[in-house]
Amino acid sequence: MTVELFDLRPLLAVLISLACAGAVFAVRENPRWRAIWSLSAAGVKFALVWSMLPGALDGKIHAFGFGEVLPGVAFGFRVDALGLFFALVSSTLWVITTVYALAYMRNSHSLSRFFGYFALCISTTVGIAFAENLFTLFVFYELLTVCTYPLIMHNEDMAARRAGRKYLLYTLSGGALIMAGMVMVYTEAGTLSLAEGGILDASAGHASLLTIFVLLIAGFGVKAALMPLHGWLPAAMVAPTPVSALLHAVAVVKAGVFGILRVIYEVFGADLLRDLGYADWLAMLAGTVIIIASINALRQTHIKARLAWSTISQLSYIVLAACLLVPLGALASIIHIANQAFSKITMFFVAGVIERATGKTRVDELAGVGRQLPWTMTAFTVASMSFIGVPLTAGFVTKWYLSLGALQAGSEVFVGVMVISGLLNAAYWLPMIYQAFFRPLPANRPDAVSVSPMMVGPVLICAAYVILLGAGASAPAMPFSVAEAAARFAIQLGVWPQ
Amino acid sequence: MTEWPHWLPILAVLPLVGGALTPLLFHRRPVAAWFWAVSVAAATTLVAMTLLLKLIASGGLSYAVGGWLPQYGIELRFDEIGAFALPASLLVLLSLSFSRHYVARAVDSGRISFYYALILINLGGLNGFLITGDLFNLFVFMEIFSVSAYALVATAREPVAALAALKYLFLGALSSLLVLFSVGVVFAMTGTLNIEDAAADLDLSTPMPAALALAGLATGFAVKAALFPVHFWLPDAHAAAPAPVSAILSALVVKAGVVGLLRTLELFAGGEGLLQPMLNSIVWLGALGALGGALMALVQRDIKLMLAYSTVANIGYILIGLGLSTASATTGAMIHVVNHAVIKVLLFLAAGAFIHRTGLRCIDDLRGLARRMPFTAFAMGVGLVSLSGVPPMAGFVGKWQIAVGALQAGRPILVAVLVIAGLLVLAFSVRVTNAMYFRPPSRISAAAATEAPVSMLFPLLVLTAGCFGLGMAGQVMLRFVAPAVPGLYGGIP
Repeated sequence: MTVELFDLRPLLAVLISLACAGAVFAVRENPRWRAIWSLSAAGVKFALVWSMLPGALDGKIHAFGFGEVLPGVAFGFRVDALGLFFALVSSTLWVITTVYALAYMRNSHSLSRFFGYFALCISTTVGIAFAENLFTLFVFYELLTVCTYPLIMHNEDMAARRAGRKYLLYTLSGGALIMAGMVMVYTEAGTLSLAEGGILDASAGHASLLTIFVLLIAGFGVKAALMPLHGWLPAAMVAPTPVSALLHAVAVVKAGVFGILRVIYEVFGADLLRDLGYADWLAMLAGTVIIIASINALRQTHIKARLAWSTISQLSYIVLAACLLVPLGALASIIHIANQAFSKITMFFVAGVIERATGKTRVDELAGVGRQLPWTMTAFTVASMSFIGVPLTAGFVTKWYLSLGALQAGSEVFVGVMVISGLLNAAYWLPMIYQAFFRPLPANRPDAVSVSPMMVGPVLICAAYVILLGAGASAPAMPFSVAEAAARFAIQLGVWPQ
Repeated sequence: MTEWPHWLPILAVLPLVGGALTPLLFHRRPVAAWFWAVSVAAATTLVAMTLLLKLIASGGLSYAVGGWLPQYGIELRFDEIGAFALPASLLVLLSLSFSRHYVARAVDSGRISFYYALILINLGGLNGFLITGDLFNLFVFMEIFSVSAYALVATAREPVAALAALKYLFLGALSSLLVLFSVGVVFAMTGTLNIEDAAADLDLSTPMPAALALAGLATGFAVKAALFPVHFWLPDAHAAAPAPVSAILSALVVKAGVVGLLRTLELFAGGEGLLQPMLNSIVWLGALGALGGALMALVQRDIKLMLAYSTVANIGYILIGLGLSTASATTGAMIHVVNHAVIKVLLFLAAGAFIHRTGLRCIDDLRGLARRMPFTAFAMGVGLVSLSGVPPMAGFVGKWQIAVGALQAGRPILVAVLVIAGLLVLAFSVRVTNAMYFRPPSRISAAAATEAPVSMLFPLLVLTAGCFGLGMAGQVMLRFVAPAVPGLYGGIP
């Protein structure tokens, strides 16, 4: 059913952002050419990734290999449905975030560094998505750490340096764990391929398998902000808003989650993991994280900090769903990569617009903002509805399939987790909306500064997409169909169970 | 032309003679001396390349000096280990290219021709050491590169240089003595100085004299390689020397100690029972060195001291790999000998470029230099990332192979050692990169610095490319060194 095709496009998709970064560095402080390069590269990449979609839906797999760097350690790209899904989400959001960032970052310093590394981040993210084996994935995963560091440090002040140090401490330690796990996988399996749906088998022995599982999950769990490895994420909020958006919606956290999905479905394989039972423990951890992180989000007074804690909670949805090891769970987990990305990036964009228009960054300052920025706050409302799980928004689709998956797996308790989490989400988003729309603006406040349409436009597009993902999920050529294909491969089922 | 048999001795003779002629021909003419030294090193590199091509085409080369056949005469041979002469010559060439402007400031003008002479003689000694098949010659060439190294450390203007050189001299002389004594023991036992013949004739049934020789050789070479805990001469000597000399010492001269250990393993290939305890202790000392060196590097304020301690750590990795004695770990160690050499030359030269332009060597003083010297800062960054062993950079290949070997040998704890040491390296790399890229300048000379001259940037550029290239060339290098492994441990699988 599946055909592997030799194709240059996976390589080009990675290289295009790299070339863009080079061009941005080369033009130095010339804003017009910087914008032209960034936007055109984003556009070309968007087209390249989407052009692989029809083939992938037909079961074609585009691959590009460089051959082995060491015995059994190859460098290559292979675009399967899961990877394509992740790449679609990140290349789409790159276009939107670039537009937003060009407006948001106007008048900031070191912009050539900022946009250069911004492009490099997406380059590495697509590299992670298309990685044919664990080694290639790891290379790009570490590169991503290196490339996001200058973005977090952008302000170059004390807080930024502290956040940057913390970020590196966490992510580099995580990388070290993955490295150790990868060596163990190689010695047990003799290969690092991610194309075989499980390269380990039970003969490796319980002790090694458990060590590998813990090392790899903890390693990827750092970027996925899986508690208790989440500490870097709220700290990294000092970065400029487009970076927060990139970190929390697109590149970094999703790279971690994507790594976990690869470990569960491609390194261990659903069958082996079901026999071993490790995934149950991880699912329980993820379930706990969902609740605890939501409670923490409630206590935050800064908008971006609340968003960060909500991210921690939402990422665990993906991990939880993946750990159910049933087809519907896999589907929920993959589709939530997109759903969370679009909803969360909407919110970050909104936070940036509020900051630029009114200078407000705290939850309790939001009174009356809805009247000053009606469109923006409407978009925020849409995104909140998605997180709460209101039908016809993206978040509902996730919750629906996750609950179905939990029932399919016989773990009814997670349906309860979904319900509680929905309530908690309501508890921390609704007061913000209430404040914004129904409380009067304090009398002595200055008027809002008008904000560039290049910032409001992306907000509205993302909000519209949140509704589109929810209402039109099963329309052809929507990400849902890709997710369905990805889940089908992940769980090794040719026929979709009805 | 390629059939001409005398390339092998030329490899050592050319730099030795070229070096000896430098002060005679070019005293007090630094630029001419520089041209001469670079030309000699380039010619040596070409000879090494010719030999490498012959080795790949037709297997090992052997050459009887003066036509006297081995056992009576001196044998030179060129094998996979000796092929290290190519990277050695190339790295010396790059360091020499870098030296042109650097020595004008760092070395007294009257000594410059001697400086070039000593570097060439050092290269000649190294090449001779790598290609000789004779135990006594091994000692002689070791003395040539060691004595020239002591003198090179002392050429620096800094007041500590003479003291560091003296410390280096004492330790070095002691280790040479141990080696000479052991060579004597082996000769007394076998009646031959040829390594292959001696290995075949060595009577290992009664442990005593052989064990003495093994211990002497191993300790002697371990001091040269700066294996923990006999590493303490290294940081001062490497930090005090002029930067290109630090590069050569850290990248090549300590590696000669490793090669000496490899030759020792060849010599005692038949003695499984003797070797095993030594290999075991090498593994543990290597692990201590890897962790201790990285920790010490982390707390240094002087960038060259930091790099010097990281050499101790990397020698630790290499010796873990040698001691594990599985095929992948040994090949990994041999590859890391080359890759670490490239990385370390890059780092010391980049640090040298900073020192040359600003006179600053404290990490905190390097703040803001990335804006003023972007290429040098980038080279430094690439070197540090490579050093930490992040794929796909040069440092990764060796560490991966050694880690795989450790697991195959059933010693996962060593994987943890490698990973933790790698993290420590990353930690000090971050300190340096932060200072260069994300802090405003704190010193006037750093704020007013200009990019290094071309003769410095060119080697930095080549080595930066090398850090990327070697990371991708792991497979090729593995295939190349693999044939050398079976000859090393004899009975041990």
